[in-house]
Amino acid sequence: MALYNRIALFRAERGVSRRELADAVGVNNQTIGYLERGDYKPSLELAMKIAAYFGVPIELLFSFQPFESVADTLRRAGAMGE
Amino acid sequence: MTLLEKMDRVVYATGIDRILFRKMTPRTLRWTPLFVIAVLVAGYVLMAKNASFPDRNFLIGWALFYGAFLAAAFLRVFGPRFTATALSPLDERELMVKARAHAISGIVLATFAMLGCFYMASGGLLGLWYPHHPMDWFNLGFGLQAAGMLLPTLIASWMQPPAIADEED
Repeated sequence: MALYNRIALFRAERGVSRRELADAVGVNNQTIGYLERGDYKPSLELAMKIAAYFGVPIELLFSFQPFESVADTLRRAGAMGE
Repeated sequence: MTLLEKMDRVVYATGIDRILFRKMTPRTLRWTPLFVIAVLVAGYVLMAKNASFPDRNFLIGWALFYGAFLAAAFLRVFGPRFTATALSPLDERELMVKARAHAISGIVLATFAMLGCFYMASGGLLGLWYPHHPMDWFNLGFGLQAAGMLLPTLIASWMQPPAIADEED
């Protein structure tokens, strides 16, 4: 089963490099690259460390369902506001 | 500048320190190990067919075989990381890749060794070549050792897609 994640989005939003995130959670920076591409499924420990680093619940970062794109989220939020 | 300082400078200028201290960026080596295995086999065949030392073909085989053996030892340094350093321990993904690559490599080598036993037992009866000269066995031992060094690098390289360069690299 595919495991989707929004690590790249959170990283870009916080201005965190792969190396900084890798150092913070104790992995090689290439592992962060593999995670972002969905080529590697993290252990529960690593997933929780990444979620804790960004200060968000784990389900905001990882999901078995594809995440909604940022554009769709903004469009939906805009429609709700009108 | 003392001689030791000069030698130290040469080590850093030539980039040997990157190999010695394993500062290399791990790469996926999908075809190079196969090429080295092919050279190993070609070298072994040349040596086995011309099992006398001054023979020209034997010397070419010897150079190919032991050149490939050295290349096998070096390729491990450039391929996926299997060895932790004090500054950079293996993380969970690297440990998983290392364990799987070595396990599959062990199965492949054991299967070839098993098939080799059957071949050697029946090869003589059928009039086929089989290693009977002590030098053949000696070289076969080194060949298996080289294959044992190359296979984990080859398997690990096929197990994972090529790494993407970090924005800071």
